Amino acid sequence: MYQVTEKRDVPPNIKMFKVRAPAVSRKAAPGQFVIVRTDERGERIPITIAGAEPEEDTVTVYFAEVGASTRDLGRLGEGDGILNFSGPLGNAIPVKGYGEVLCVAGGVFQGVNLYLAKALRGEGNRVTCVQVAKGMDHLFLVDEAREACDESYAVVDDDEGGGLKGLVARLLDEKKMSRVFTFGPVPMQRAVAELASARGVPSSVNLYPVMVDGTGMCGACRVTVGGATRFACIDGPEFDGASVDFDELTSRLRYYTPQEKIAMVLNERGVI
Amino acid sequence: MSGDAGSSRVGVFLCSCGTNIGGVIDIPRLAESARKIPGVIYVEANLHTCSSEGIAHIKEAIRAHGLERVVVAACTPRTHEPLFMAAVEEAGLNRYLFQMVNIREHDSWVHGRERESANEKAEYLVRMAVAKARFLEPEEEREVEVAGSALVVGAGVAGMTAALNLAGKGFQVYLIEKEAQTGGLVGKLHTLFPGGRDAREFLEPLVEAVKGSDMIQLHLGSKVAKVEGSIGSFAVTIQSGSNTLTAEVGAIIVATGAEALTPEGYYMYGSHGGVVTQLELEERLRLGSPIPPTVAFIQCVGSMESRGRTYCSRVCCGVSLKNAVHLKRLDASREVYILYRDLQASGVELEALYREALEAGVKFVNYVPEEQPKVAVGADNSLHLAVHDTLQGASLDLQPGLVVLATPLVQHDGGRELAGALRVPLTQDGFFLEAHPKMRPVDFASDGIYLCGSAHSPKGVAESITQGLAAASRASIPLTRGVVKAEAVTAVLDPDKCVGCGACASGCAFDAIEWTPVGMPRVNETSCKGCGVCAVECPVGAMQLRYFKDTQLLPAVRAALEPAPWACETHPERPVVLVYACRWCSYAAADFAGVMRLEYPANVRIVLVPCSGRVDFSHIYQGFSSGADGVVVAGCLKGQCHYVDGNVLAERRIEAARKALEVLGIGGERLDMFFCSAGMPRDFAQHMRDFTGRVQGLGRVDRAAPAFTSPESQDAEVR
Repeated sequence: MYQVTEKRDVPPNIKMFKVRAPAVSRKAAPGQFVIVRTDERGERIPITIAGAEPEEDTVTVYFAEVGASTRDLGRLGEGDGILNFSGPLGNAIPVKGYGEVLCVAGGVFQGVNLYLAKALRGEGNRVTCVQVAKGMDHLFLVDEAREACDESYAVVDDDEGGGLKGLVARLLDEKKMSRVFTFGPVPMQRAVAELASARGVPSSVNLYPVMVDGTGMCGACRVTVGGATRFACIDGPEFDGASVDFDELTSRLRYYTPQEKIAMVLNERGVI
Repeated sequence: MSGDAGSSRVGVFLCSCGTNIGGVIDIPRLAESARKIPGVIYVEANLHTCSSEGIAHIKEAIRAHGLERVVVAACTPRTHEPLFMAAVEEAGLNRYLFQMVNIREHDSWVHGRERESANEKAEYLVRMAVAKARFLEPEEEREVEVAGSALVVGAGVAGMTAALNLAGKGFQVYLIEKEAQTGGLVGKLHTLFPGGRDAREFLEPLVEAVKGSDMIQLHLGSKVAKVEGSIGSFAVTIQSGSNTLTAEVGAIIVATGAEALTPEGYYMYGSHGGVVTQLELEERLRLGSPIPPTVAFIQCVGSMESRGRTYCSRVCCGVSLKNAVHLKRLDASREVYILYRDLQASGVELEALYREALEAGVKFVNYVPEEQPKVAVGADNSLHLAVHDTLQGASLDLQPGLVVLATPLVQHDGGRELAGALRVPLTQDGFFLEAHPKMRPVDFASDGIYLCGSAHSPKGVAESITQGLAAASRASIPLTRGVVKAEAVTAVLDPDKCVGCGACASGCAFDAIEWTPVGMPRVNETSCKGCGVCAVECPVGAMQLRYFKDTQLLPAVRAALEPAPWACETHPERPVVLVYACRWCSYAAADFAGVMRLEYPANVRIVLVPCSGRVDFSHIYQGFSSGADGVVVAGCLKGQCHYVDGNVLAERRIEAARKALEVLGIGGERLDMFFCSAGMPRDFAQHMRDFTGRVQGLGRVDRAAPAFTSPESQDAEVR
């Protein structure tokens, strides 16, 4: 069992866990993920690693309670154990000297974004960070971002900047960005990637299609990138934003919604 | 469910409909039972609730008793809901605080021989309506202003006709044509059929009128690059070379026509100059080029194929007949053959043209697709055409100087591109798909976009003009009114629950989900048609459909199935079937079954939904846990969904739900998907009899089974 050593409620539906997992903690790097199973009947949930504290043997993760399984996970408290916590899986994002970089994250991915931003800054990059949330009360890690990055912005609605697209476009136009990194819901990442591509700036998107084993055996997480079939778990989760077939990805993401709804209804009624 | 019990000021009006309802249903007894329903403070029985007296009573009661919700139990809401909604509104209540339940077509008319069960069903149906009514919320039909201008894409005969018609009504028209000149396909013809009129002569007044109109802005060599917005205010980006122009229009007409297939690879086309297309022949005739003494037309070149282009292009037979007659007229000694598979010369004028061709001496040769004619080149570069004439049972060897290939009209790249920009569907054959082939032949399913001419499917000139006029007429309705009422029953998002995954947007057939500045979905209430597909697609329950929210549907389903404490069940052992019926097909089919007195068991209870695509697993599961022993989700026939593909999505979900019911031990066979149209009342009644019989065989569902009990409550029982 992997013990939850710290639990924090972050704005609506989002939880932060520190989990004691010494081996994962020693090897984790930004961009990698773990696959978590709450109990023996639990679904396998891929969660992006948002920090590693090898000195404490812990790994930090943030997750949104959106379905039956994440809700079950969120019910655990400090001291409770998680059955499986396997990782680090996937490839680490290459952290090297790019120059001027932009990191854009939506929703639950603020922790992950900061983990990467800090690492990039450690390599001497100038890091601008954009935090995207659907409302003020859904925004978190704002002070931390301000401290960790050279510049940081938060977008919550349509104030002057023309929203997320307006802000990202302006930052890309004003600064000579060498690369854009983005985490978040697929439509949001797609918008960021398209803005970058239109200006010839390379972009990294981070994709989490349905995953099962996370080790390249099942093929559930396939994504078409540059016309070739790739597995998000072992070839990604980071891919070149200009080459991803987003239409196919969006349609594949919908494939299991009937099953997800069934699980949610039965979970709500306490049947499963 | 929340602790909120909804409104407790509900008024219930029970209609006897003369003896139509009252002859079977004991209305005083039903009123007695309705008085006991929680939340009901007023019950009135009327001989005819829809009479002016009945309407006056509703209005009076709303004022006198401070009613907050009104329920009418009578006939079908499909005919009478607007009347009662208007009455409720006149009395100062929002019209959506009204709920109607059908105890005539769905009860007294079909269960007359099971009087006791019919009465019990009526009680359930009234409880169902009250339960939903208590949770109804006021909804607004927003008015959207309509710009007094239109976009017509394509300046062929259909497009120019539509543009002139709209211009004549005083609307500004942007007429876009991809070619450098107007006229479309007709502009490339020599003469028209039937009648043989000169094509250019025919076009000239039309073109002159378009060019002379102050109200038409003609953009030649242009295309539609982008379309945003919806009915009333479409923002259209028009691209002419390197220039772009943005226009705001209230309506759009698609008149992009079609192009003739270039028969690459057929009958040596391209490798011998004597093999030409119909258009190339027209060009020769127009220029007066010499024509050889023997000419053979081959019909159905590249159409009516077993795969791919399976359709008949309709106009090619007429064109060949016209040209064959013309060639005979020019020189009566010329040999003219028409090699056909299935000569289409229907109607008065084409039949006359066919007779004229026969009289002129045109020779008709029938071939079958299994034995295609063969074209070969002789040593002297002459053409040899071998064909087996099935009618004479003989093989012919012709030596035509000219072989004319009648190829079908096909969609062009411009049309496909436009379909993408407008987000409107194409058929399998690549042509634009109308909203309904009979009821709405020149509309698209998306409001404010209309269709005419060969863009829809291959058409002659007369039909293109008819459709051009029809499309202009349809478009002028919103343009003339200046405002459109947006649908009040639209999707509504709870942004707190939303995770921004975009499932709603990719499930929406109307592109009615926009994105907020932070990249979260937002419902465009003008484009939303109210099917509820997005509410079911949403994996986290953030999307709901107004007037059919889960908070409204689920209490209704419970009330439709769970026995009231004060009412005893007559047949507790009898299985109950719950039907989620789409308002466009099965609900209407049930209405017609009522009109035709087609009986089915009274233990079938029907819940109205806007589309089978609105039915979620929570509704199905609620049905089983509240007392249903079988659940039917009834949607339109495939290809006929009012909302494009809600029924297909529903079927996919039903398959998943069946598996879950199997695992839960309830049994997948208790969940049924049924496709029908409004015109299939016999099938509907038969299916209800069959399915109820099957469920009868399965017996009642064990509601004490683990599938319905949470681990907590099981623990509680142990303790």
